[in-house]
Amino acid sequence: MTAPFILAIPSKGRLMEDSRAAFAKAGLEIVQAGNARSYRGSIAGIADVEIAFLSAPEIAREIGAGAVHAGVTGRDQVEESVADWKEKADFTQPLGFGRCDVVVAVPEAWIDVSAMEDLDDVAADFRPRHGRRLTVATKYINLTRRFFAGHGIADYRIVESLGATEGAPASGAADLIVDITTTGATLRDNGLKILDDGVILRSEAHFVTSLASGWTPAQVGALRSVIGAFGTKAAATRPLFGRLARKKTG
Amino acid sequence: MTESFESLRALLSGAGYAFVEPPIVHDARVFVELAGEDLRRRLFLTNATDGTELALRPDYTIPVCLAHLASGEARRRADYAYLGPVFRQRNGESGEFLQAGVECLGRTDRAAADADVLALALAAVELLGVKRPNVRIGDSALFAAVLDALDLDGPWRRRLGRTFGDPARLRWLIARASNGTEPAAAMDRKAARRKAQDLLSASGLATIGSRTAEEIADRVIEKSALAAGIGARARVALEKFLAVEGPPVRALKAMRELARKQDLDIGAALDRFEKRIGSFDKRGVDTGKLTFAADFGRRLDYYTGFVFEVHDPKRHDGRQIVGGGRYDRLIALIGHGQAIPAVGFAIWLDRLGGKP
Repeated sequence: MTAPFILAIPSKGRLMEDSRAAFAKAGLEIVQAGNARSYRGSIAGIADVEIAFLSAPEIAREIGAGAVHAGVTGRDQVEESVADWKEKADFTQPLGFGRCDVVVAVPEAWIDVSAMEDLDDVAADFRPRHGRRLTVATKYINLTRRFFAGHGIADYRIVESLGATEGAPASGAADLIVDITTTGATLRDNGLKILDDGVILRSEAHFVTSLASGWTPAQVGALRSVIGAFGTKAAATRPLFGRLARKKTG
Repeated sequence: MTESFESLRALLSGAGYAFVEPPIVHDARVFVELAGEDLRRRLFLTNATDGTELALRPDYTIPVCLAHLASGEARRRADYAYLGPVFRQRNGESGEFLQAGVECLGRTDRAAADADVLALALAAVELLGVKRPNVRIGDSALFAAVLDALDLDGPWRRRLGRTFGDPARLRWLIARASNGTEPAAAMDRKAARRKAQDLLSASGLATIGSRTAEEIADRVIEKSALAAGIGARARVALEKFLAVEGPPVRALKAMRELARKQDLDIGAALDRFEKRIGSFDKRGVDTGKLTFAADFGRRLDYYTGFVFEVHDPKRHDGRQIVGGGRYDRLIALIGHGQAIPAVGFAIWLDRLGGKP
């Protein structure tokens, strides 16, 4: 039996519905194996494609680990959870849904802070005044570290947030947050504002190809069929297929 | 390597340093509070059953100072040496690697202590077989003196001060500072305080332990000083100062000349620098082979003055094999409250072929 091309699709929520709709629009019918609770499936009409239903963060990690060949997940998930994502993942096709921005937001009452360099001043001044470091609540630890380092900000500490990050300043769990937002309404409701230069990433769901997995010619062929259905321009995918061809199969 | 480790131990002990082995596992907070989020990324972390975050020591300096504080009067004289494993997440390299070094605490004859520590580091490097090492020295106290002499306004002074140690960013910041920023909307202190307080109350934000309306208003006023900028004279003086590089005696001459031409009152800091160079001579360090760079420093706020790094000319990755310097503020920051003279160095034994 030849090794199948493994494609990971979100297993729940809005992202699952939108992914299925996008595949249906491209003429690709996802068939769930057995019952609706199954975590495996296939695509009608394309041989040797195995669908794995996973959560969006898992999909990003599996792409980075090379455990799946491709998947649908947010750009934010990949940049956050795959350490060297430029080497391991290819954002092959934006899918037009799951749009969100990862942003730095501070209390509206901080009328002296409108940009990252203001935050740098506040962070440096914070420990002498309060005897502890300024804290940032976020799920996006790696994105936050990279972005803050890029702005020369060193005097802060991350408090890992497991949900409802926007409530952290109100509850006293952290001084400010890094979180995703679509319209900014939730942030405003919580008395927070986005810094002028505080957009870390504009994200949306992508068809992401793993550069970390092994690729046989048959798997490359299956990838071609799937992204061909999405109407991705051949010129746009030439560098990707060049990279895959240079990889050892296996 | 084991043989040279034995002779390294003998060298450090012979110089009067007592070998210590502090714990490997520590409460992570002490490292994160001191070195910030950027170090945390490189820590090996785990959780105790009570939820406390624990870290494997990323270096010896902080654990040695903690042990010093725990075992007696903070100000007492003590000379410690160590050789053992430290732990950092490193891409493509082992996370467990060996360091050796010394910490010299409580010596108030700072220039002589700086010289003793540098001379010992160079003797250790020679013993480990490094031929013709490149030694770079720096002194953040000189940069601080230049900032003081230029009589800069609060916020720019602090921004420039804390960026020292990152030469590219510092140059960018100086260029930006010379013109100032966009003027902020005029608001007096009272109005700023009221506005901040209203917004804090409206959003129900907890201000216990976080920024208060008072503190926000302070900074609104301070921001008007940012708009004014530092001016062309300060920019020229800072750029010329940061460009000074060369053997310390020649660099000293260039800085005295610069101070005269730019009318900068930095004589006292230069005298201390000169005294230190004199101590190097007395200690038998060939100062003609050192390179002073005015823009060289570390971006950790517990380093207070003299710093040095040693490079092996045979290594091409630009990484230091020894890093050292004066950290008079460290013990104050980990709990004593008062600055205590401290100087030391760490040898990256793994970069010299040493394996745990």
